[in-house]
Amino acid sequence: MSYTKREVLEVIKMTEVEHFDVRTVTMGITLLDCADEDPKAAARKVYEKLTRYGASLPGTVSEVADSLGIRVANRRLAVTPVSLIATRPEPRSYVTIAKEIDRAAGEMGFDYVGGFSALVESGFTRADEALIAAIPETLTVTSRMCSSLNVGTTRVGLNMDAVLKTAALIKETAFMTRERGSIGCAKFVVFTNAVDNNPFIAGAFHGVGNPEVMINVGLSGPGVVLDAIRQRGPCDLRELSEVIKKASYKVTRVGEIVGREVAKRLGIPFGIVDISLAPTPELGDSVGEVLMAMGIERPGAPGTTAALALLTDAVKKGGTMATSAVGGLSGAFIPVSEDGAMISAAHEGILTLEKLEAMTAVCSVGLDMVAVPGDTPEDILAGFLADELSIGIINAKTTAVRVIPVHGKKAGEIVSFGGLLGDAPVQELKLFSPSGFVSRGGQVPPPITSLRN
Amino acid sequence: MNRRQMALEVASILVNHISPAPSQSVLEKVAAELILLAEKELSAGDRPSSQRLAVLTVLGKNHPGIVHAFSEILAEQNVDIVDINQTILHGNFAMIMIVDPSGAKVDFPSLKSLLKERGGREEVGVFLQYEDLMRELNRI
Repeated sequence: MSYTKREVLEVIKMTEVEHFDVRTVTMGITLLDCADEDPKAAARKVYEKLTRYGASLPGTVSEVADSLGIRVANRRLAVTPVSLIATRPEPRSYVTIAKEIDRAAGEMGFDYVGGFSALVESGFTRADEALIAAIPETLTVTSRMCSSLNVGTTRVGLNMDAVLKTAALIKETAFMTRERGSIGCAKFVVFTNAVDNNPFIAGAFHGVGNPEVMINVGLSGPGVVLDAIRQRGPCDLRELSEVIKKASYKVTRVGEIVGREVAKRLGIPFGIVDISLAPTPELGDSVGEVLMAMGIERPGAPGTTAALALLTDAVKKGGTMATSAVGGLSGAFIPVSEDGAMISAAHEGILTLEKLEAMTAVCSVGLDMVAVPGDTPEDILAGFLADELSIGIINAKTTAVRVIPVHGKKAGEIVSFGGLLGDAPVQELKLFSPSGFVSRGGQVPPPITSLRN
Repeated sequence: MNRRQMALEVASILVNHISPAPSQSVLEKVAAELILLAEKELSAGDRPSSQRLAVLTVLGKNHPGIVHAFSEILAEQNVDIVDINQTILHGNFAMIMIVDPSGAKVDFPSLKSLLKERGGREEVGVFLQYEDLMRELNRI
């Protein structure tokens, strides 16, 4: 027998019992060649190009998944930051393009497309300004189009004017989608050090240095890691790290096989595997539960940051060996509303926003899917964003914020988004104003650590 | 015939049609390039589809006729059983078959649903997948 019984049964257990699935296979497509002075013509080119490349992705992914005996939860598209599609720089131009992207995605059966984005870390082009002005409307009139802004990098510092604009557009989007729990904000993320091959929604976009089209893979896997830790039982921390590394190797290897096979069948280049542990609201598929299995009573307890640091480091070490190209965010995802153990800890006040912020200093990629009261003033929201984004700049890592100021809700209430987006407890923000600082505007200079040459 | 001999053979067939006949060293050179090409084609993870084996796993409560139930379907669909391993532990049945679906009368998804459907009637769990995961997750 070429495989032992144990080997075969372990694979079956991983796919059938431990909720393992590949979270997303994302196709990145460049739209730079869809430029046209007439926005309607540009939108037509965009629609034509997306359907030409994207139509065969969902079927191919399903075929590959089925033949390998695993599940792939999502198929998604990422496009060139839309502000870079040269056209008439007016907000309505970009809304027109977004609607066509949304229509194409709907017809092909994609739930989300990333890339209604602008890179404004050092300032705004006319196109950037127009696109930013169009974000609230776009997130309201489309259902699949996701948006992101990069407002800072370690190299150039933080564009505080962009942070102020971001706070304003988040509030406006929350208001415009107030009938649906301000869900528009769940489709928008603000970054520092954004990566251009991130397969995960809502921050995915296809960077300008990428090829015409490529396949990137995002993993899931908290369930597999959780099960490995539980099975190992008591052991010291070095051994715990080894257990996580081995589980991460397996999870990542599956992503690599799927990505390679899909790319081969479609005849396009395979990009990267993102070795983040991405949770889902399903029981047993939670990063919070992994922390609990490691010995933290509840996520948010003292020790949480240390445990998360060990966890993410081990995940990276195990994953790196399993794939030919690691990329994307490759850190810990803590989307509060999408992670069962995090939801309850946040609701009970154990996991505070301040603790979440501390966790991003070591490895988490940001404050993801956190809900705050709908009446949070704009300047306080801007201060909240600036804090998180500065952590990324100083530590030369990606950080991001996806925050939902839920219209009409107060701290302690719960907003339910349904599906993968889950339920978010509305968390308290300290209501003292940073206005005297953030409203000065301008550029926060890059840190001394940016001088690497 | 090994790969080198094969390449030399192919090279000499090719050069037989070329005149004047090339020297032995040219022949060797052509053969070396052919070997390189063949090795590239046969590199790991990229085996010809005809050699891509699959693993059929059946798990559940033991009862007479389980092995027959599934081997019958495989025979009907012209799927070769390469290897089989079957155990019963505390009344629980576990069977792992390595099969070659390359000559099957139906495509892979249809074969899978035929087996799954039979699994439903036999009240056992049935999993059919290409061997990639077994190979890549357990061996470095």
